[in-house]
Amino acid sequence: MGRYVIRRLIQAIPVLLGATLLIFAVVFALPGDPIAALAGEKRGNPVVVALLREQYHLNDPLIVQYGYYISGVFQGNLGRTYANVEVSQIIAAKFQVTVNLAITALVLEAIFGVGLGLWAALRRGKATDSMILASTLILVSVPTLVTGFVLQLLLGVQLRRWTGGVEIFPIAGVSDGWISYVVPGFVLAGTSIAYLTRLTRTSLVENLRADYVRTAVAKGMPRRRVVGRHALRNALIPLITFLGADLGTLMGGAVITESIFNIPGIGQELFRSVHERQQPVVVGIVTILVLVYILANLVVDLLYAVLDPRIRYE
Amino acid sequence: MRVTKGAQIIAGTALLALAVAACGGGGGGSTGSSPGATTGASDAPVRMEIGEPQKLFYPSDTTETEGAEVLAALFSPLVSYNENKEVVNEVAQSIETEDNKVWTIKLKPGYTWHNGEKLIAQNYVDAWNFASNQENVQSASYFFGRIAGYADLNPGEGKTPSTKEMSGLKAVDDLTLEVTLSKPFSQFPVMLGYTAFYPLPKAAFGPDGKVTEEFAAKPIGQGQFSIDKPYGKGTDQTIDLTRYDAFAGAKPKFSKLQFKIYTSTETAYNDLRGGELDIIDQLAASSISSAKSDLGERYIEQPDAGIGYIGFPLKYNKEYENVKVREAIAMAIDRKTIAEKVFSGTRAPADDFINPAIAGYKQGACTVCIFDPAKAKEVYTAANGPKKLELGYNADGGHKEWIEAVAINLRASLGIEVTVKPFEKFQAILDELDAKKYTGMFRMGWAIDYPSPENYLTPIFSTEAAKTGSNYAGYSSKEFDDLLVKGDTAETPEAGLEAYRQAADVLNKELPYVPVYFYKINAGYSEHLKSVKINLLNQVEWESVEKA
Repeated sequence: MGRYVIRRLIQAIPVLLGATLLIFAVVFALPGDPIAALAGEKRGNPVVVALLREQYHLNDPLIVQYGYYISGVFQGNLGRTYANVEVSQIIAAKFQVTVNLAITALVLEAIFGVGLGLWAALRRGKATDSMILASTLILVSVPTLVTGFVLQLLLGVQLRRWTGGVEIFPIAGVSDGWISYVVPGFVLAGTSIAYLTRLTRTSLVENLRADYVRTAVAKGMPRRRVVGRHALRNALIPLITFLGADLGTLMGGAVITESIFNIPGIGQELFRSVHERQQPVVVGIVTILVLVYILANLVVDLLYAVLDPRIRYE
Repeated sequence: MRVTKGAQIIAGTALLALAVAACGGGGGGSTGSSPGATTGASDAPVRMEIGEPQKLFYPSDTTETEGAEVLAALFSPLVSYNENKEVVNEVAQSIETEDNKVWTIKLKPGYTWHNGEKLIAQNYVDAWNFASNQENVQSASYFFGRIAGYADLNPGEGKTPSTKEMSGLKAVDDLTLEVTLSKPFSQFPVMLGYTAFYPLPKAAFGPDGKVTEEFAAKPIGQGQFSIDKPYGKGTDQTIDLTRYDAFAGAKPKFSKLQFKIYTSTETAYNDLRGGELDIIDQLAASSISSAKSDLGERYIEQPDAGIGYIGFPLKYNKEYENVKVREAIAMAIDRKTIAEKVFSGTRAPADDFINPAIAGYKQGACTVCIFDPAKAKEVYTAANGPKKLELGYNADGGHKEWIEAVAINLRASLGIEVTVKPFEKFQAILDELDAKKYTGMFRMGWAIDYPSPENYLTPIFSTEAAKTGSNYAGYSSKEFDDLLVKGDTAETPEAGLEAYRQAADVLNKELPYVPVYFYKINAGYSEHLKSVKINLLNQVEWESVEKA
């Protein structure tokens, strides 16, 4: 098991290098000069532009620039933005915020998704089942942008009018601690909740029909134990895969949610940096996201072994 | 100090309790009914929305509005601009000249830096020399280009300046500054209200003579507010300021100011409605109709000094050479519908090359800027205009809709084929224009650097600006250039204005660009405030802000 983990981590190194080079090349290939873009719609002072281009090695060919970048990374230096701010400093602060948001979303997703799926599966074919399925359909079909603004207006702005000015959910920002992440976390997790509900229901329904469940029922095992220990545990395998892969999506896909709720996370930063052509920031953030994906997948694979004794890692 | 874990927890809990209590007080304040609300409200900061400043706070490296808004609260300019479009002295006691070339600026006594030092003329000399020196790579350095000796500090790429001081700057005594320009320029005092012209204290400079990063994160100004702590760019979500009580000018009537950083103004507007924000200086177009009804008197609409144009690549595409073609295009655009429908009323139809917010504007000066499709078609056919037109725009700035609208106008009015070409960034259009690769029309916009009519003319349309400025059309006219010189050397402000007016009329006749819209300011403030005024530079006048 230990050797397996080490092997997987070593495999991650070329993936990371490849990913950074790819992203570097893509950002590099975008038209428009990042330094000239600093001046907006006016023509920047040509001498200033030339000096800055020199300072950031922008006149060198791509591979040389990449060399400068990667050698900096190995010295623990992620470089500086074109506005002369340490990239590591930006990423560190924003990463924390996005991790908070992603964890909130993941917890909400697991609670609502698995909970509703379980409920629907146990009431298969009844009104509850149909209602849950119908509401997941709505959740999937309404875009995040809409759910975001609607919930912000309802839970943020309107709710405090009804309660006479008492704040329950903050409208935007993260200055109120964990409560600030609840509404955005729910918005972010919205579609995933719907998918997870359906996945849980299908997976569980299938397992409840399996031979071993019939055997367990036949030998007089209490229903709670049949569902909890036997059916659900087996049904969890595809769910864990989904949740693991979703962690990466939640972290990288938070651009819209972070923008609506003014959450200073890496989604927002990534969007702005692509827009402003801040290569070092884009590459830094994407590298970290790749790392998150790799680690999340590793954890998922290890969890398989916990859930299914037939799976072993040498 | 050593603190045990237990003590930390207790202290933490106590802080939390305090914070909760403070929140409760704030909530009471917003309903305005609880008796303790008044004391709570007077300490609560006035909160204003901004976007993230592009850089740290170097006055001469800040050419965008967000950083400039913060700097304007920290620094006080030499001059400011009043509601009658006039220049009024702020830190300056008087600004005098005999020949528009040598200017004597006397400072009012009594101004001090936030660290207690006296503000002296040398602070201006130091700041402006720093800003101009090419080695300091300051993006606003071009503002100083008219001062004698600027060329010595800017010998060009790869060369080192021979000196660190401009010959045209001299601190005669503590309160007198003498500025010599390389050639006469009557509008020099108007420039002095801009961000780049703020002075810098001794403390700003490191041992190498450059402004330090520590200073740029926590600037020491001489303005209405001082900054509470160093600004962590990229990490901080608020910038907190406290009133500087020893300020010699007009003091604000409240003690705390907080800038809150947003990426979406729609979100900021929701915060404003929920009582979490007080001022938004530019509402999103989608919020405007609800802001009008929600805010009532607290919704502000006033002209903004920017202009949007359609430009022609005159320097190398002969298709647009005939002025009649350009006239026909000007008449074919339905500006009113674009301003009211496409922009939801956040723009006004343009009818001059000078914006109504600035002295020198003449209503209806552009006689062909009025929608007249029949006449447009007639003129266009008579001039044998091209059968196919192309219209380029940058897709990153919300210009698609109005450019599409113009294209529809042109197709319908002129009966020709019009294609729109999105560019990824504005810079990409400029690059292709420089390389003479792009031959179509292009969108263009202008936000002023200083509120003088001259700023709509020289930087965009003078022959000289084709090389160094923003004359992307490549327009060149001797008559126009001569009128600019006349304005620059005019003996009285009135005579200067007259000459610039004539120069603008040359443009209205020759149409190197076609003006399409004037920008507007659509701002709003919360019920916690009684009054807010926004000046010509789009900056809030903090002394005008009163709490309700």
